[in-house]
Amino acid sequence: MKLASLSTDQAPPISIPLRFFAVAPLFLILAALMLAMSEGNPFADIHSPALLAATHCITLGFMAMIMFGAIQQLLPVMIGSTMPAPRLVAWLPFLLLTIGTLLLAFGFMLSKAELLNLAWPLLGTALLIFIGASLTSLARAAAQNVTKNAMLLSMLALIGAIALGALLTRGYAAGLALDYPRLAASHISLALGGWVMLLIIGVSYQVVPMFQITPPYPKWLTTALTPAIFAVLLLNLSVILLEPASRWPGFIAESLFWLLSGCFAVMTLKLQNQRRRRVADATLSFFRLGMFSLLLAALFSLASLIPSITIPNLRLLSAISFLLGFAMSLIQGMLYKIIPFLVWFHLFRGGIKAVKVGIPNVKEVIPERWMWRHLWLHGCTLLAALLAPWWDVAVWLAALGLSLQGALLGYAVFTGILVYRRTQKRIEQLPA
Amino acid sequence: MPDEKTLTIDVRWLPPPEPFERIMQALQTLPANSTLQVLIHREPLPLYEALRGSGYAWQATALGDDSFEIRVSRAP
Repeated sequence: MKLASLSTDQAPPISIPLRFFAVAPLFLILAALMLAMSEGNPFADIHSPALLAATHCITLGFMAMIMFGAIQQLLPVMIGSTMPAPRLVAWLPFLLLTIGTLLLAFGFMLSKAELLNLAWPLLGTALLIFIGASLTSLARAAAQNVTKNAMLLSMLALIGAIALGALLTRGYAAGLALDYPRLAASHISLALGGWVMLLIIGVSYQVVPMFQITPPYPKWLTTALTPAIFAVLLLNLSVILLEPASRWPGFIAESLFWLLSGCFAVMTLKLQNQRRRRVADATLSFFRLGMFSLLLAALFSLASLIPSITIPNLRLLSAISFLLGFAMSLIQGMLYKIIPFLVWFHLFRGGIKAVKVGIPNVKEVIPERWMWRHLWLHGCTLLAALLAPWWDVAVWLAALGLSLQGALLGYAVFTGILVYRRTQKRIEQLPA
Repeated sequence: MPDEKTLTIDVRWLPPPEPFERIMQALQTLPANSTLQVLIHREPLPLYEALRGSGYAWQATALGDDSFEIRVSRAP
């Protein structure tokens, strides 16, 4: 992303991304409540209602919510193409995603078919409107870059994940005789391995060199990595659905996925080690924790493929490392960079009056000591979640950690909004 | 050796928008008839956009190591 393409005319109003960012932390608190309200240890069974509810609060209420807000800001700025029907895309998916996720989470938690039957059409509509708008915007863009291609593949994987998710929810609510384990495995593979992984890689290609001042990712990697991961996911999907007699195709597909993902993690850590100005930075540390967690997720999953290793819960540990450790670390790290930057950038649109009033320094928007506290809290939450399958007290600790993280992130977003509003008011009050 | 009327700031390898912030701050306190010499790790295209029409002139020179030297002064 060249800053030259940061067009103040094309960027949407700051209220659009901040609206999504403000609501997302509430779903972390809701996820914590779901875990805390569970009867028994929710981590003891990967399909327990509380774990299903909490996972979807995080993936839909938190992660998809932030993706909705961030992409509406990123696409115009990064590839110079605005979203079609910006008002509709800013409001309708926001409302549908919020209501749909609440219905889905409570539907799982309370085993209420009527809530689930309401949830999946709302969520499907929210996501499809958003994907439709994003794909239109991507198709309109003249610029060809690796992030655009990664986003495109990520959206395609998300369409598959939504279709399978809707089918699973509908079937679960109506008590249909579906092959749930196979459908669920395909849904998780496309959602986490496809949507989340490919989107994070695509955005990292821009964010890591730009904000962390590292050398760029090598061209061979940016050209080949996301198409290779997508191809491996398709292979994995065909293995899950066709169930060949030999276990080798599945073993190969999954091993390749984790090797490619591990390659991304190692390269990112290597680039971060080559920074020219080595100052401590909380957002960079969030990224590093994320990359180490991705390697841990790979290790757990690869170990689970070896028949002689009989440690229980390896798949669950891999999912926890991927979702909480990798995806959530990176998303929170990015938010702590994006929010101050957005506040600064939108205030700067005030032009010469803004300069006269004095725009707050980007480091003054959210105090860095809070980011460090959040990072430590996040690390402890991850550790508690990894211990939770064996230790009931850790379930409470993980739930407490998640809810405090939601509170901290919410505080950060509202601080950003407050700084923006206060400064904007001073800019408006300044005589021309 | 920079002459007395040249103020130098080194904003190389600072994350955005810190280079831009520091340059704008330095320009606000830059005495008349002085030049601001900026060392930066990439060509600051948004800075040019901000300076355009604001009474400043600038000259960019690519240094060997991918970084740039930008000399900004009040337009004659």
